[in-house]
Amino acid sequence: MATTATAPAYAGAESHAESGLWSWLTTVDHKRIAALYLGTALFWFLVGGLEATIIRLQLALPNGNVVSAEKFNELFTMHGTTMIFLVVMPLSAAFFNLLIPLQIGARDVAFPRLNAFSYWVYLFGSIFLNVSWFVGSAPDGGWFGYTPLTTLAYSHNLNIDFWVLGLQILGVSSLAAGFNFITTIVNMRAPGMYFMRMPMFTWMSFITQFLIVLAFPVITIALVFLQFDRFFGTNFYEIAQGGDPLLWQHLFWIFGHPEVYILILPAFGLVSEILPTFSRKPLFGYPVMVYSGMLIAFLGFGVWAHHMFAVGMGPIANTVFGVTTMLIAIPTGVKIFNWVFTMWGGVLRFTTAMKFAITLVALFVIGGISGVMHASPPADLQQTDTYFVVAHFHYVLVAGSMMGLFGGVYYYYPKFTGRMLDEKLGSWHFWLFFIGVNLTFFPMHFAGLYGMPRRIYRYDVGQGWETFNLMSTIGVGFQILGVAIGFWNFWRSRTRGNIAGNDPWGAPTLEWSIPSPPPDYNFAKVPKVTSRYPLWDVKSPALTSNIPHSPAEEASLDIDVGGQHAGRVSRAIGNPPGGPVGASGEAPAGPSGPPPTPRRVPTAKELGIPMPNPSIKPLFVALFMTLMFASLIAIHKDKTQLAVALVIVFGSALTASLYGWLLTPLEDEH
Amino acid sequence: MSTSAIAHAGHTPTTTGLDHRKIAIWAFIGSECMLFASLISTYLIYKGRSRVGPFPHEWWCQTTNATSATGPIAGCPAGALFKPILNIPVTSQSTFVLLMSSLAMVLALAAVENKDKPGWAGPGFGGRILESSKLWLLATALLGAGFLCYQAYEFTSFVHEGLTIRTNLFGSSFFTLTGFHGAHVTAGVLWLLTLLAIDVKRGLGPRDALLVDISALYWHFVDVVWIAIFTLVYLIR
Amino acid sequence: MHHQFRPRRLVRAALTVALAASSLVVAACSQYPNSVFHSRTDTNRDVGFLFEILIWFGSIVFVVVEGILVYTLIRFRRRGAARQPEHVHGNTTLEITWTIIPAVILVFIAIPTVRTIFRTEAKASSDALEVEVVGHQWWWEFRYPQFTMRSPTGKLDTVVTANELYLPQGRMVSFALKTADVIHSFWVPSLSGKRDLIANHTNYLWFTPDSATPTAYNGFCVEFCGASHANMRFRTFVVTPDEFASWIAHQETSAAFAVAPPRQAVASNAAGAAPNQPAAAAAAAPAPAPSATPVTPVAQAGFIAFPRDRIPPYAVPTTPTPADVQWTPLFGDPGRGAELLTKGAGACLGCHTIRGNPSMIGSIGPNLTHIGSRTTIAAGLYPNDARHLALWIKNARKMKPGVLMPTIGLNEYDPQLGATMKAGLTDQQIADIVAYLQALK
Repeated sequence: MATTATAPAYAGAESHAESGLWSWLTTVDHKRIAALYLGTALFWFLVGGLEATIIRLQLALPNGNVVSAEKFNELFTMHGTTMIFLVVMPLSAAFFNLLIPLQIGARDVAFPRLNAFSYWVYLFGSIFLNVSWFVGSAPDGGWFGYTPLTTLAYSHNLNIDFWVLGLQILGVSSLAAGFNFITTIVNMRAPGMYFMRMPMFTWMSFITQFLIVLAFPVITIALVFLQFDRFFGTNFYEIAQGGDPLLWQHLFWIFGHPEVYILILPAFGLVSEILPTFSRKPLFGYPVMVYSGMLIAFLGFGVWAHHMFAVGMGPIANTVFGVTTMLIAIPTGVKIFNWVFTMWGGVLRFTTAMKFAITLVALFVIGGISGVMHASPPADLQQTDTYFVVAHFHYVLVAGSMMGLFGGVYYYYPKFTGRMLDEKLGSWHFWLFFIGVNLTFFPMHFAGLYGMPRRIYRYDVGQGWETFNLMSTIGVGFQILGVAIGFWNFWRSRTRGNIAGNDPWGAPTLEWSIPSPPPDYNFAKVPKVTSRYPLWDVKSPALTSNIPHSPAEEASLDIDVGGQHAGRVSRAIGNPPGGPVGASGEAPAGPSGPPPTPRRVPTAKELGIPMPNPSIKPLFVALFMTLMFASLIAIHKDKTQLAVALVIVFGSALTASLYGWLLTPLEDEH
Repeated sequence: MSTSAIAHAGHTPTTTGLDHRKIAIWAFIGSECMLFASLISTYLIYKGRSRVGPFPHEWWCQTTNATSATGPIAGCPAGALFKPILNIPVTSQSTFVLLMSSLAMVLALAAVENKDKPGWAGPGFGGRILESSKLWLLATALLGAGFLCYQAYEFTSFVHEGLTIRTNLFGSSFFTLTGFHGAHVTAGVLWLLTLLAIDVKRGLGPRDALLVDISALYWHFVDVVWIAIFTLVYLIR
Repeated sequence: MHHQFRPRRLVRAALTVALAASSLVVAACSQYPNSVFHSRTDTNRDVGFLFEILIWFGSIVFVVVEGILVYTLIRFRRRGAARQPEHVHGNTTLEITWTIIPAVILVFIAIPTVRTIFRTEAKASSDALEVEVVGHQWWWEFRYPQFTMRSPTGKLDTVVTANELYLPQGRMVSFALKTADVIHSFWVPSLSGKRDLIANHTNYLWFTPDSATPTAYNGFCVEFCGASHANMRFRTFVVTPDEFASWIAHQETSAAFAVAPPRQAVASNAAGAAPNQPAAAAAAAPAPAPSATPVTPVAQAGFIAFPRDRIPPYAVPTTPTPADVQWTPLFGDPGRGAELLTKGAGACLGCHTIRGNPSMIGSIGPNLTHIGSRTTIAAGLYPNDARHLALWIKNARKMKPGVLMPTIGLNEYDPQLGATMKAGLTDQQIADIVAYLQALK
């Protein structure tokens, strides 16, 4: 195919089109930052997966001897920390970046340079955390870092220092992004994009940002206490001084439980985009989906102590936290049913994205059921800290979040790159991953109920756990194969995938009305929105005939259809030339089909759209901030003076670059 | 030029009509509430759980580990007797200084917002004083710095009286809580001084009102947090 | 010996269905000695009832939801381009229905849950057997505060043992749980849910073991507690009340070698224990001969320890020993061993107590007064036989990562210090000490 080797159709459209390293270091374009997040998070996914693989090899047989006890503890600590903070959250952030402005009809996020800053902090923080491997002391206190095990008295090497400082650095990234996206969603919606018309992904992201903004300060303080204890000799977790180990647990889980929803809600959002498109039906019960998301988030702040039933809080606290936890099952169940009934009566197309999305729905049910089992405190006392819990949260986070995120990658890759992913490779990716996930994590339910504790690096023969552990390890092999095929697909399709066009799936939301990849200004003309499904209003009005609309004359979308520019279309005008796109359900321009003619998209300058200037300053601020935190490590190398000197140097550099950033205009004067 | 973000916000109307930074500062303040809530709760949880003194409101005898809420403990050797640490009269003064800084902040914002209406504050010397944004920005920053001086005095005298951040649970949670607040005040003073520098360099007018407005929001928030700290830590026994 | 380790019928049925569905049929045939579904106590029966409710409702919800989902996927898959999707975007009745149904199910779960919470967390009855559990990195100390006695020096002592918990059938046992260092969690899955051991807190837990046959259960630490978290195990022996009384009476006695032990050579267990057949090995090589005259012959007459031949295989550790710690069988003299310890060889007295041996009064490590009668060493990690005991004394830090117990063998490499020990005990001295310890029945 001649066309497969050509550049994406609209690559020439970007005004900062130079693709050199400098352009990536200085970019403030939300789509490029999304690509950076995506690439970095997928890299850490491989690292976290490697850690998991070693863990599973160690546990494949009783009395395993692949790694030492100490190394095993580092591996499971870093596996959890990596997958949560360096993979699932940043993968979600990649989608926040790519989609939120596109879905609400904005040209960028509210603070483009703050957005770049968030990414660089994430990158440097993740590197800092993993440098620990190379100095021989990776964090080893568990991702939950319970004190007093993580205090200096019981962990006197650098392991926990890396963890405490690394998580604080990463927290800055999440918080900055949180403020940014909240502002973006509140303040940058296109005309007519009322809250109750926002695409469900934007809604779930919006809720997630509130969770981030309210939950991260709490763990920051918990970490500050631990850091002060370790570096400055304070007594927050000092047993001899009356310090209470439960202080850490409460602070950690007040953050930790909302964190669970921070990890799953964006994936819920992606699924809520994918299912309607491939069912060719609006989302079932949109308002209830919004409210249930809010309710999950709200209740999520009131259930933290269900992680602590075994600490002896007493029957009243156990009852309260048990019952509120059960309540969360109701909005979650509502979501599941609404997804199923989105598909009910639809015309289902089983693309790879759809398979991943359906799998989230199907397998999250298992995680939900085991979740309700944990909510019953007396039963939970037989489950907590066993492999049953490991099974539960892997069903939530791998069969849930990761399935949704992979579905999101298959669904939005064409929008990111202008190219389609290969569906055949996608199918292999999906099925191998599906089999692998279930083979790995389902047997863990049994291992747990048959008494296998978590976080053990070896177990004895004859405990009844051998079969389950062997199955889990074999399952990892399937997952590795699936992911390898998927990554190969992601890589090769960049240049060899079929040209996608604006709207390869026949999707309903704004991001599909513009070229793929979108020009840096996203929308040549800011769209006016009359319903939840602006693109279907134009292309397939019958699909949205039953949902509320503003008066039709308000609508205006500057859209392309199938590579042919259809000009301004409004609902009043009716279908664009060529009839409803996507009704046939075929991805356009298959290998045999005619490739759409690449058409030059005008640059921002030509359109007179002011764009933010690229800037290296966010990178410097992030770098100096990370270095400033990292300098504290010297204290535990008995070089306090060096640490102080370094903190002063990097702190000054940080302040200087911050002033440089704040005092430089975002855009050229005009 | 310091008007970067203003220029940006200028050209696309926002959904709410508010500037982005106004939304962001509110989100930030919400987040900060959780930060200080965690710090204050920790202080309250650990209240009365220190195993050794000195204590915030009680006398403490080091040799016997005896405490007294009413006065010096009889029979305690001179070197081993520790006074109650918190000095409410002094901290009341610093609280007053910080509250006054909020008043100055309000006046600074009013002066900037009305820059284009000379004489808005009335005739005479008093009116000219009220119209001077530089004066009120400087006053706010100085009162904030004054509060920090009180805090520095307080910290050094506490250390002198035997309480450091390492001494006991009270010392750790007290110094961390008030230290975090002090760091916020310090950041606020730097922010105000930056605004003052801009004002001196090119003058702040109504179109910069937002810059002052968001710094004022932050400043008032820090003030309100102090009221909470002063009440919960100092006043309530 | 027949072990009746089967889940309750309903639970088993539900599990079996799930197992079959997951091609786990093979696995279902083997036995699960640590299953949480064993109803060997009152609390575990209460919890088992909750599990039945949870698993049944869970299974029904699972089948219904997945059924509707799969039906939807099959029925509404795209077949040709002709069909138009239904133009539905919501249905209030349906949505209310699937809000109410889960809520009702949750009520049926919540009520028994709350009842069980208050029943299982009520105060223990006043005539319960009290056991104080103290967690250490990485071993368990069990104290029986209701059973005290005067040591030869006149000090009031409590019955205390390590890593082996003896409980009488049919009597409520009330645990007070504490820790000496980090957080641990006490768990015997067959007997009860877990409870954490937290510094500056004391937690409580009670249950009544009422299994028909005396047997052994495995216990674990289930809160991550550092390098050897996986190696912090213990055994629970549920015995008849008579056996328990006899065991306690023996535990109240002082060590057999209190004074002037006879200098008689005792064969160390040269046979050792093949890692995978420890039970057989233990049976084949009986514990050192009782010819070492005991000071307290009375106790040996009755039940002093759970008989090794009645210990089920799952309660016999199979941990392989590190390849780089060697032990050549040697004859040890318990008398010489006692003398060595008394003189402070290996600095054992710095950490361990042997009641009746006036120089052995350390309190950091496990109490060794009756170590000879225990079935395992190193927190359930190795069988208590001569070879493992010798290896343990020689180089504990290779035997169990991170332990406090120092490396005592001469010229042994200490992985924590990163150095070879230039001072220490010879193999012969270790054999003597082993012989002495094994005689401490």
